[in-house]
Amino acid sequence: MGLNPRSPMATTSHVLFPRWSNHLVRAALGAVGIGAGMLLIFAFAYFRSPLFTRQNEPINQPVEFDHRHHVRDHGIDCRFCHTTVEKGESAGYPPTEVCGSCHGQVWNKSPYLATIRASLFTNKPLEWLRVNDLRDYVYFNHSAHVNKGVGCATCHGRVDEMAAVFKHPPMNMGWCLDCHRNPNHNLRPREFITSMTWKAEDPEAIGAAVAKQNNVHTRTSCSTCHR
Amino acid sequence: MPQIDPTKPRFWRSVEDFTSGADRPKAAHGYPELVGREFPVGATEIDGATRRDFLKLVGLTAAGTMAAGCMRNPPERILPYVRQPADIRPGIPLHYATSTSLGGYGIGLLVTSREGRPIKVEGNPDHPASFGASGTFEQALAYGVYDPQRGKHVKRKGELSGWKSFKADVISRLEAAKADNGKKILFLDGPTASPFDGWLRKQVGKTLPEAKFVTFTSVDRDAVFDGTELAFGQRLETRFDFDKARVVLALDDDFLESGPDRLVHARDFARHRVPAPDGAEGAASLGGDDAKTRPSAGEWMNRLYVAECAYSVTGGQADHRLRVRGSDIICLAAALYARLVPDGAADVAALAAPYKDSKWVAAVAKDLSSRGAQAVVTVGTRQPAEVHALAAAINATLKSEVVEYGRPLLLDTKSGSSTLKDIVAQANAGQIDTLVITAWNPVYAAPSDIAFADALTKIPNVVYYGQFEDETSVHAHWFIPAAHDLESWGDSTSIDGTVAIQQPLIAPLFDGVQRGELFGAFAGMPDSTAHELLREAHSQTSADMTANGGFEPWWERVLQKGVLSPTPPDTITPTLQTAKIGERLRPFKFERIEGIEINYVVDNKVHDGRYGDNAWLQELPEPLTKVVWGNVGMISPAMAEKNGLAAEEIVKLTVDGRTIEVPLFVLPGHAEDSISLAIGYGRTGGEAIARGVGSNANALRTTSAPWFGSRATLAKTGKSDRLGITQEHWAMEGRPIALTAELADVKRKHLPMVEEQNGPQPSMMDEWPNTSPEGYRWAMAIDMAKCTGCNACILACESENNILIVGKDQVRRGREMHWLRVDRYFEEVDGSLADAKVVVQPMACVQCEKAPCEYVCPVNATVHSDEGLNDMVYNRCVGTRYCANNCPYKVRRFNYLNWHNSLQGTYEMKMNPDVTVRARGVMEKCTYCVQRIEQARIATRTENHGVGRVIRDGEVVTACQQSCASGAISFGSLHDPKSEVSKKHADERAYAVLWELNTRPRTRHLAKVRNPNPELA
Repeated sequence: MGLNPRSPMATTSHVLFPRWSNHLVRAALGAVGIGAGMLLIFAFAYFRSPLFTRQNEPINQPVEFDHRHHVRDHGIDCRFCHTTVEKGESAGYPPTEVCGSCHGQVWNKSPYLATIRASLFTNKPLEWLRVNDLRDYVYFNHSAHVNKGVGCATCHGRVDEMAAVFKHPPMNMGWCLDCHRNPNHNLRPREFITSMTWKAEDPEAIGAAVAKQNNVHTRTSCSTCHR
Repeated sequence: MPQIDPTKPRFWRSVEDFTSGADRPKAAHGYPELVGREFPVGATEIDGATRRDFLKLVGLTAAGTMAAGCMRNPPERILPYVRQPADIRPGIPLHYATSTSLGGYGIGLLVTSREGRPIKVEGNPDHPASFGASGTFEQALAYGVYDPQRGKHVKRKGELSGWKSFKADVISRLEAAKADNGKKILFLDGPTASPFDGWLRKQVGKTLPEAKFVTFTSVDRDAVFDGTELAFGQRLETRFDFDKARVVLALDDDFLESGPDRLVHARDFARHRVPAPDGAEGAASLGGDDAKTRPSAGEWMNRLYVAECAYSVTGGQADHRLRVRGSDIICLAAALYARLVPDGAADVAALAAPYKDSKWVAAVAKDLSSRGAQAVVTVGTRQPAEVHALAAAINATLKSEVVEYGRPLLLDTKSGSSTLKDIVAQANAGQIDTLVITAWNPVYAAPSDIAFADALTKIPNVVYYGQFEDETSVHAHWFIPAAHDLESWGDSTSIDGTVAIQQPLIAPLFDGVQRGELFGAFAGMPDSTAHELLREAHSQTSADMTANGGFEPWWERVLQKGVLSPTPPDTITPTLQTAKIGERLRPFKFERIEGIEINYVVDNKVHDGRYGDNAWLQELPEPLTKVVWGNVGMISPAMAEKNGLAAEEIVKLTVDGRTIEVPLFVLPGHAEDSISLAIGYGRTGGEAIARGVGSNANALRTTSAPWFGSRATLAKTGKSDRLGITQEHWAMEGRPIALTAELADVKRKHLPMVEEQNGPQPSMMDEWPNTSPEGYRWAMAIDMAKCTGCNACILACESENNILIVGKDQVRRGREMHWLRVDRYFEEVDGSLADAKVVVQPMACVQCEKAPCEYVCPVNATVHSDEGLNDMVYNRCVGTRYCANNCPYKVRRFNYLNWHNSLQGTYEMKMNPDVTVRARGVMEKCTYCVQRIEQARIATRTENHGVGRVIRDGEVVTACQQSCASGAISFGSLHDPKSEVSKKHADERAYAVLWELNTRPRTRHLAKVRNPNPELA
């Protein structure tokens, strides 16, 4: 510290910064500290907020497929289109021919279905947008959950009431762990797995019974989901 | 820590390690320095960056991460099928049976396909030559099919052309060739035993009756057939059943790692490499646990004698190994013949003279004859026919049950360099108009005294069909890119006669042409697909077909199983003609080559060079030298000392006036006055990965001395090359790590070294709590007695777990990424490494219950699972590398760079979707194939309408375990006392590596057992 005695500055009595500027520096340093803290809090809040998670944000698909019409009005089971939900990691997306199997007969001239017909005739796949997008390092398996008594609506919400499907829960790790630590209130008997309207009178009691019957014991080790 | 007892055997990783000892002097060339370093080179500094640069980089990275993290990913797209094929359900893997061939013989495969992409190759359990296991070459197919360097276009004189233009050209030529029945058309093919190839040749013969097919490979088996012709008067296939062998003498024969039956050999040999049969197999074969029916350990375990020049994988398993030059083997064989075949002794007296009084030969001969039918002599394909005949005569005299003869399966049993000589002569005489080359790269593989490339200029139309634009394609008028084995229809025959179907896993990625289609074009069927031709070739009605209800159901069944219903191999019992052998050998006299003899060996990684562009194989450590990316001149320690040569020094190697430069490697156990060099390197073709790696041994080889028998001179160049050697990394500081025992000690349960590495230990740390609901405690056992060190497990792991290659320069810095390594230790004999023995020890993360890595991680990125796995959480890892420093086993690997950024398009398709691809700055290590555990768990837990059941023993198979032919690796849960792994952990040979550190590893190693002959002790 200190000035070089040979420097011309040392010989003058001029002071570069007035004394009050020290307070300014202190205040500024404090502000930086508080700012960093705020930023951290903001970051934590931001990454959990729907702004980042896309929760409750309806996604417009290339085809105006309405689950309300197909599920609620016509009572088509989830598994009619999402065929591998009980067998594989992915619930499965229906190939265009599944649409065509009905709409070849019904509404086969509807302008709403032009994209479907184009896909069938040109043999080009439809480009759907993923709504429930987990990070690539998460290895979620539908069959492991559905077979043990976790209903579709538990994670995906009332899809039968969605015009355009949106992500119902935040689907972040905290949300996964909440259930993995205490799954009972999210379990239901097998026959109601795809039901959108099923409600338990005493979720804990029914969940405990299902857990016992299905031998449910959730794990929270890292490698359960991350490999 | 236990003190090292000087009377105990000591183990060394290399000559440098042995000579440097405690004080570790700085050596001139690279790697001994590494031994003493705390960190591998380059691990502690950023190359060429100052502290200020570093801070700038850190700041920039932090800012970049923040910015990137706040951005939301654009929504991912989902493209379902328009019409979904019946058997494909996205996310659920499919397995297809197919086969591949090497050297003409087939091996059955079971390939995993994810969404239409083949990602993992395993052996087909229904195929007798693979029985579910696989070797390095089979594993590496999964890389080869995606190799972006493969030939992509049909080319005419180097210009882009097309398959249709080629077919038009062929049709016009066939028209012209009708006049002389195709007399001037010659096909040069690789060796093949495929029935489809036989059928195609017949079809070609219909349109071109006088066209000829000849065969060439630089790694031929001609000597085997010539040998039986000499000994029995007929050309016969030789097969070995090592399950019946108790005493084996291998003369320059690497039967565990090379040849068409290597996997079966490894399995059968390893079964008897342990003191008593294993587990259930042992109980079944012994008829219960009754101690009285149990044969004494000596009767179950085999004994192996090996005589060879350079250490081979089989040599590493030997109980007694004699290091001799390649050209000495014939004398050794003659000396044994003289002792064991009484009426032939006089004929070989001159040849046997050098080994007439050898104590080794006397002891081996006595051991062989005392075992009689359970003894066998095998000879490598490098040795001349005479040695094969001598061994055949010895085996016949011993009435060995191990050896079996059969009709040759290869379409052509002559495939040596004489073929090329004939072609050169015919080309010079103008007798060839069209030469169709489907053999692998003959211009490169030809011996140096055959001017094959010059001969090609004299042929008006040369067609080269190959996977790469290589040395041969530049001399060809037409280059046809070949489809890969995983892209083609075809079939194969294994050495036991099993015919297996080859079916494609994926359409040719680079417009490759299938073999069947190429020959179809010449057979006048240019528009038939290989699939149609193959079905036609197999359309002849058989009993099996009728039993299965006609062709279509039979064909479906064949495709599903991968093999045609096996026909028992025909066995021939030939009559020995001792007189003929005597007649041939009487004039032979041994003339010792003065000075240094050169000895060429087939490479364990690139074979004859055909796998040169396979980066997985290039980066695989050679089993004995542990050298990656290139070949080395191997010499003995004494020869190095005598001539003042050192490892990594580049020498000029001259044979008959031809010279190459090659770096040296001092290999303990190498024969004196001899230098060994692997073929298959020094490529100059168009393959970016193969080009310029190593030195070309073919530039020195001659037709008269293809493997040994020429004199070499060595001259110093003053240059040196820092080799990429993996064994020098991750030092283990001279502690008792790889343990060995002798059979006699195992029998009387006297294993002090093993006992020292066992037993209870006090600990300050809490006991590991088993909170697993099902109680699983995953564990592994590795039997070092069975492990041959063949490296198949490394590639299986690499393929399963998306492990990336890093290149020679990064390996030099100790940054290789293999999760599983196979350590090789040289065990000194009488205080020297001259006759060193070898121990191999596979080592991956041992999943410590009290894991040192976990205690030091500041961000909890490595934590314990409820089932005892040491989980690595890539997303938490910030790259401090504390865990790697604290790991006593040195099995953690760090991503210093974004290795996957260098992946080119197609190779991304290879990635296993069940395993995360790791980014830069992340630590990784063996996970016990946790993805396979979880798959088994989900499959079993969702059974019975969701009630589930426990995972049974054997339902989780790790990738390394699945590939291992010798069954050295067991995996399972310790909570089940009847599981295979529990039994192995309870074995008297089981020990925990670095037991004294109290890490309680879940992987236990079983000490290697040797069965020495007391007479040679």
